[in-house]
Amino acid sequence: MNIVVPVKLVPDLVEELEIDDGGTALDTTWLRFILNEVDEHALEQALLLKESLSGTVSVISLDGEGVDDVLFASSAKGVDRLIKLTGVDYGVNVNNHAMARFYATTVRILEPDLVLVGVQAHNDLDGSLGPLLAEYVGMPYVGYVSGIAPINGRCRVRKEYPGGLIAEMDVEMPAVLGVQAAESPPRYVAISRIRQAMKTAAVDEQAAPDLDTTGGPMVDSMFKPETAERATMITGDEDEVAGRIVDLLRELGKA
Amino acid sequence: MEYEAVKSIVVVLLLVVSFAVFGLRVYQLLWVNLQRGRPGPPYGRWIERIKGLVVYVGGQLRLFRFLAPGIAHFFVFWGFVILILTILQAIIEGLVAFADPGFVIPVIGEFGPLALLQDLFAALVGIAVVYALYLRLVVNPPRYEGSHRAQAVMVLSFILTIVVSLLVINGIRIELGEDPLADWRPVASAVGAVLSGLSDPTLEVVEEAAYWIHLIVVLAFLTELPGGKHFHVVTSIPAVFLRNLDPPGRLPPAPEFNGDVGVNAVEQFRRRQLLDFYTCTECGRCQDVCPAYASGSPLSPKLLIMSLRDNLIQRGVALRDGQQNGAVLESELVGDVITEEILWACVTCSACDQECPLFIEHVTPIVDMRRHLVMEGRMDGMLQEAMANLGRYGNSFGQSERARAKWTKGLPEKIKDARREPVDYLWFTGDYAAYSATLASATKTTAEVFRRADLDFGLLYEAERNAGNDVRRVGEEGLFEMLAEDNAAALNACEFRSIVTTDPHTYNALKNEYPAEINGGRPVLHYSELLDQLIADGRLRLGRELGYRVTYHDPCYLGRYNGVYDAPRRVIEAAGCTLVEMPRHGDRAMCCGAGGGRIWMEEGDTQQRPAAMRVEEAAGLEGVEMLIVSCPKDLVMFEDAAKSGGYADRLAVKDLIELVAEAL
Repeated sequence: MNIVVPVKLVPDLVEELEIDDGGTALDTTWLRFILNEVDEHALEQALLLKESLSGTVSVISLDGEGVDDVLFASSAKGVDRLIKLTGVDYGVNVNNHAMARFYATTVRILEPDLVLVGVQAHNDLDGSLGPLLAEYVGMPYVGYVSGIAPINGRCRVRKEYPGGLIAEMDVEMPAVLGVQAAESPPRYVAISRIRQAMKTAAVDEQAAPDLDTTGGPMVDSMFKPETAERATMITGDEDEVAGRIVDLLRELGKA
Repeated sequence: MEYEAVKSIVVVLLLVVSFAVFGLRVYQLLWVNLQRGRPGPPYGRWIERIKGLVVYVGGQLRLFRFLAPGIAHFFVFWGFVILILTILQAIIEGLVAFADPGFVIPVIGEFGPLALLQDLFAALVGIAVVYALYLRLVVNPPRYEGSHRAQAVMVLSFILTIVVSLLVINGIRIELGEDPLADWRPVASAVGAVLSGLSDPTLEVVEEAAYWIHLIVVLAFLTELPGGKHFHVVTSIPAVFLRNLDPPGRLPPAPEFNGDVGVNAVEQFRRRQLLDFYTCTECGRCQDVCPAYASGSPLSPKLLIMSLRDNLIQRGVALRDGQQNGAVLESELVGDVITEEILWACVTCSACDQECPLFIEHVTPIVDMRRHLVMEGRMDGMLQEAMANLGRYGNSFGQSERARAKWTKGLPEKIKDARREPVDYLWFTGDYAAYSATLASATKTTAEVFRRADLDFGLLYEAERNAGNDVRRVGEEGLFEMLAEDNAAALNACEFRSIVTTDPHTYNALKNEYPAEINGGRPVLHYSELLDQLIADGRLRLGRELGYRVTYHDPCYLGRYNGVYDAPRRVIEAAGCTLVEMPRHGDRAMCCGAGGGRIWMEEGDTQQRPAAMRVEEAAGLEGVEMLIVSCPKDLVMFEDAAKSGGYADRLAVKDLIELVAEAL
């Protein structure tokens, strides 16, 4: 079973986000990029499948700050092949259409049985990566997957629907699956293992094709959420506070 | 053949057999297994080691921390040393019986004062052993839970038999008028007087019987020693002699096998650690003081060491028999022999290490095995998240490193940036003081007190990372190295005279575990030490006598690990407060339960959390209205415990700095 995991690095929400001077994108000066959280699950699911069925796992990423760390950590977890597409950076405005086109080129060459992606990311302005990639490589796509069991050239996947509904369906392989949760939580990899990987693992650097963002949205303006009306603190002793709450409820009930 | 000739032959045979059994067992159980261990760092510091033997073996100093059993053991130990000569006498006497039945060792055997000493010690050992039997069989304190009781009772009976038979032999000889030193042996004389009703031939038979019992029990004891809890009479001497003399706050270098850090087979421990496993006397002092054990977790430091000893011996036997597999060889040390729950329960407070009379290391094997768990990624979700945050942001809170100095907002004066200008004091805040919302006010108060003392101080701002003390104790050695390298780079780029921190964990790492060149010989101070100095120099004038009745909690990494007990107490006094000590204080202080990375882990099944027990202890002191702490984590732990325990209205938890600020 050969699995490819195309990953996506996204701005770390721990940092305060700023809008750039153009007013249409995030200011990348202070941004830190980290691996999209559900991509960790896609990677974990790939490793679980590799461990139970043997095979290889390849990770593909665009270039950018923090990418090498992600790749070496993946290697330390057991990923066999690290591919970095150079010449294009997460920091510039690569939309998911463009990213899917980049990854499609590499995925076609790798001829995997399965392509696992994180089902969504917080900066998916133009839809999630999985379906776009599936379209470009001509494979079926199932998203919101939380369990994968290959049987005779097909794959039985567990898909979660909103409202707690769960379906099991068979998908022809090769397929692209949008992983929501791996069957076990993403594993921890000790820093010393990552440091070993830095010394031993090789990153296969491939030049990315030309950037093509067609299909994505044109952003007219980007802004921070406007501060909602501030809450009013009710002060006083118990009776006063209770009285005020009763008054408020009456007022609001009328309106 | 005459009886005397037969006696000599039997004694020879007994000696040969028992020494052969003893030798073989020592070789197989101890020597071969020790060889399998990993060599440790070179020992050195021989004078200090010899002093240790005198004080801790000869003086039995640590045993007196449990006073009555300590005194009893002192007499048994010295009794053994002094009675070695009487045992030697019994052996030689038997060996030469065919030629000289009345043989006495020349000079030594004829020296009256020595005879008196032996006589008295035989009696004292007897009394001590009876007390020990009473302790085992009647009192049976909880610390003996899990120890080998039958073995203990058997050996105590052996010792009692040895001294009683000696007194009987000597008593009868006095009664028969055979002992020229009769006047020097009052106890034996009394025993003889008791037996005086018997006829001379009967006395002779009883004497011979007592002789054989004496000799056989001595030799049986010898063969029983190896591998059991009484093996410490042999192994304690090298164990104490070769004990770790580095500061307790400095963990020995992490073991590494083919690039993997940590221990997952008992032979991967250092030889010194293996010697520890044999040296355990199962006395349970460690278990008695262990906060994890007290809170109902599956960890008992005593049972941990006993399990490691059993595993070492069992694996040794399996390997000796040439087994390729089998349950013992196939079981994993980490997980099967010692469960993960046991390893994660440790708070690394070092109370066990401190209490062990024979310097057995409990924390280091736990950390070595945790390292293996970390390499395998086996840890709970909360801990995993904390480690990931520390790796990414350099703090366990998962906040940006740029937010580290956010607490300084709103201070009247901006604190100097030590990266930009030289300062006298580099204030290394540590994660909790900097990021915890609960602690922001205490941290601001610290800044305010420093300013009032006219201190020239500065921060590393976003260049500071968690110092890594508890990261290391969790077993994440690689992450500790990374954090230490980052901090070293930041510190090396700054000009300062000393480092000060409010966090004892940070203090310990910076002081003991960071390479010496980073500090460049510059002192690392805990704020309690700095406050103490400032007050003594008159730079900080505490004008107001606060008059509170307070108690003080010694943080593990300040007290036990670094011996700072007096400075915070002097500061409390200077603030005009009356200090009432808790029953467990100083080096006996009980951990709050947050150490060794426990603060990042899931609570687990516990009967009562250590912090709750500690607050209960403080609240039990008459008229005490405040629990003073000198560790940011303590403030969080105890405030929480005081609230949930219902003590919040009568026991305030305050940081030392708040007391100082109020007294200014």
